[in-house]
Amino acid sequence: MSAAQSATEPRTPADAGMTPQQPVRRPRGATARMLRSPLGIGVVIGTLWFSATFLVMPNVTLLQATFAPDGELSLSAVERLLSSERALRSLGNSVALAATLAVTVNVVGIFIVLVTGWFKMRARRVLWLGYATTFIYGGIVLATGYAFIYGRYGFVTNAVANVWPEMDRDWFSGFMAVVLVMTFATTTNHMLFLSSALAKIDHQSIEAARLMGASNWTILRRIVLPTLRPMIFAVTVLVFLTGLGALTAPLVLGGQDFQTVAPMILSFSRTATSRDIAALLAILLGLATIVLLAILNRVERGGTYFAVAKVASPLEPQAFRTRWGSIVMHVLAWALWAVYVFPVLCAVLFSFADARAVQGGSIGLDDLTIEHWATVLTQPDALSPFLVSVAYSAIASVVVVLGLVLVSRALTTWRGRLSSVIEYVLHIPWILPTILIALGLVMTFDRPQWLVGGQVLQGTIVILGIAYVIVKIPFTLRLLKAAFAAVPDEFEDAARILGAGQLTTIRRVVIPIIAPTMAAVTALNFTSLVDDYDAAVFLYHPLAEPLGIAIRRATEGDANVQAMSITFVYTVLLMLVQGFVLWLVYGRGLRRRRG
Amino acid sequence: MIRFDGVRVAFGDHVALHGLDLEIAEGEFCTLLGPSGCGKTTALRALAGFVEPTSGSVHVAGRDVTRVPSEQRGVGMVFQSYALFPSMTVRDNIAFGLAVQRVAKAEQRERVDRAAEQVGLKPEQLGRGVSELSGGQQQRVAIARALVLEPSILLLDEPLSNLDAKLRVQLRGELQRLQREVGITTVYVTHDQEEALALSDRIAVLSEGTLEQLGAPREIYEQPTTAFVCDFVGEATRLTPAQRAALAPEELAGDLDAWVRPEHVALVESGGIEGIVREHAYRGAATLLELELAGSVLRVESASAAAAALSLGDSVQVVLDAERVHRFPVAA
Repeated sequence: MSAAQSATEPRTPADAGMTPQQPVRRPRGATARMLRSPLGIGVVIGTLWFSATFLVMPNVTLLQATFAPDGELSLSAVERLLSSERALRSLGNSVALAATLAVTVNVVGIFIVLVTGWFKMRARRVLWLGYATTFIYGGIVLATGYAFIYGRYGFVTNAVANVWPEMDRDWFSGFMAVVLVMTFATTTNHMLFLSSALAKIDHQSIEAARLMGASNWTILRRIVLPTLRPMIFAVTVLVFLTGLGALTAPLVLGGQDFQTVAPMILSFSRTATSRDIAALLAILLGLATIVLLAILNRVERGGTYFAVAKVASPLEPQAFRTRWGSIVMHVLAWALWAVYVFPVLCAVLFSFADARAVQGGSIGLDDLTIEHWATVLTQPDALSPFLVSVAYSAIASVVVVLGLVLVSRALTTWRGRLSSVIEYVLHIPWILPTILIALGLVMTFDRPQWLVGGQVLQGTIVILGIAYVIVKIPFTLRLLKAAFAAVPDEFEDAARILGAGQLTTIRRVVIPIIAPTMAAVTALNFTSLVDDYDAAVFLYHPLAEPLGIAIRRATEGDANVQAMSITFVYTVLLMLVQGFVLWLVYGRGLRRRRG
Repeated sequence: MIRFDGVRVAFGDHVALHGLDLEIAEGEFCTLLGPSGCGKTTALRALAGFVEPTSGSVHVAGRDVTRVPSEQRGVGMVFQSYALFPSMTVRDNIAFGLAVQRVAKAEQRERVDRAAEQVGLKPEQLGRGVSELSGGQQQRVAIARALVLEPSILLLDEPLSNLDAKLRVQLRGELQRLQREVGITTVYVTHDQEEALALSDRIAVLSEGTLEQLGAPREIYEQPTTAFVCDFVGEATRLTPAQRAALAPEELAGDLDAWVRPEHVALVESGGIEGIVREHAYRGAATLLELELAGSVLRVESASAAAAALSLGDSVQVVLDAERVHRFPVAA
């Protein structure tokens, strides 16, 4: 649940290969031609500087701080880590969390995919919308929301305590709470990728199986699930990674007893004396990520089942054969739907409710108010975190897209050895957790660096923006490159033959074709950054506090009631903004296709 | 063996099949032929039990199966996409139905081997994944998978449409041989008239959800009962009144719809009606000419060397065998 892996833009299994592109025939002399063109030279110099400064140097610094703090090789960080019981326990906890999530998220995720895509369920669209709330409600906002509803002073806890005062107020805390919240929050990958894999199954193959006497269950077990197996594996790896690197859920709901690696990195990084342990933990997290992604890459290369059919017919929902089967599935599906929708409805309701009533565990009509909305929308102090986050995300999204348009163009035009190297380097952020990237930036730019003109960037408002640009590079690059590659060469040839120069061709012919992709990528980058916490917590400027930090502060200790209500307003605002952007990107297209 | 009794299928406002009546005898190879959207696949799917008729009934071996689930109808089907299970090997694909019926492993093995041999699959191919096979081999797997359950009826939904021309002709022959060997009642759906003529015992020509004509291939080709069948099966020219007056003024007089096949118009040295060559298509064994005759196009097929040597703009003389002209009442 980090900025790099948010709901709308997880590491996609479809393009999870660490190799940036399919093997292509490299025309000889591409690199030489690239270096003869002004655009090529500009791109090479720009990317080399950016990569060296922000992608390579921070990681080198991190390694240095861990293994050679005084210029000489030393394993003192390892020794200190091994002697720190807290740190070791956090490692164990992270692995336990990741392994548990790999099971629970699959159970819930596959169930969701089946009831929204396989079975003929009543009101399937409504079900889908309920489960899809994770697209607009995740990360720190979701963890905080659950804490305010089920936590020590949460609405539900208070409501129950009114009737049963002896109850354990911390019932929703620790390992189980983190697992539950993350299970329901991370089924997005299943909804995106497993659903589309399911939809690609040829309906004729289902009919063929039925004709041979296979029951629904047999078809599911012998045909559907085996066909989906590679995708289930890919999604499982992503879930495992999310579990390993989880920061917000353990931070907010883990309590004293259940802390994982990421919160531990955050806590160790705050004191200079334990920074090397933080760095070592971050490196371990990064290594685990790289190893898992490499496994995923290998399995993907060998194991995808391509549909044999040239004329596959679309999958149709399967009717239940028994009444009992239908009843059981409907009850389970709607119960799960309620679990997903309840926090969202609560957030909306609580944003309009008097804070004391929410705390009291009982809300009447008299308690409804627009006071919190008025506060957020009229008081600069209250609105500021929202505006700061919007500004950071918007600027970073636009910068990364505009910058990479030129890079992707250069990479698709001159496919040579140099362009491959550039592409690999630009994929570094893809294999590293956001938290490691952020820590690397902190530890590198807290002193003057000649690569940025001798400036100290830590403590300025720029550094968080740079982090946002970095984490969005791989996703943006892949999509823009694909967009450029999809422009038929004939268009450019036609423009050239009609007398257009290279720049005119790009500006008048190519850019208009890829403009929709540019807009969509900008929008998706924006939504995934706007509620970021993972990078912000390391890099934010105290005078420009982003939303994630403000929200997190509302849950710390016994924060004031007002802060809770404001958080719910932020939550609703975020859902509106993210929902609107997703609708712009996906919803309108769907409607057009249906029309 | 199979009887469609007034089968009507509607999808919302769209009626795909308007009360189809059709009987297919045991062991017969019957083809449902027609253009896209004529209802042939819908008829086949109604027989398989994938679509439920809005009215009417389907009978198999004297039993009304209209409401019987697909798997209890005793039909095997080869799908247009083959519908092979991509996650299974060739052997597992063929054995799937047997496994579902919990047939003993040894027997499964034996029956799969037999079915594979019947369709010409080599033993070493059985262990492969289906995506490793060529289109023709995949089609063989699909047929073997349908036959291994020894159904009483085999349904084939455009099974050759994904293959290239040469393989199509080769597999067509194999399909015919196989059907004769196994003696299974077969219903074949295609829009390819050549395929239908070559394979079938009888052909049912459908158009817009209605049965136009049912008959043996020769009957369909030589004695079409409607202008649609005459035009759709084989090639034919609809004669204009001016052409009729020029070519056979007495025999083709009156208010009628007259069609002639290209091979029933002959090129002659002299004594015929003059036409100008406008199109010339050499097809190896014969040449197809499009002549401008009496102000309209007339297609002529000739196997002669003289026809092959003609050029555009040449003048030729033709005569028409009025006996072979198909006459239909003029549509209202």
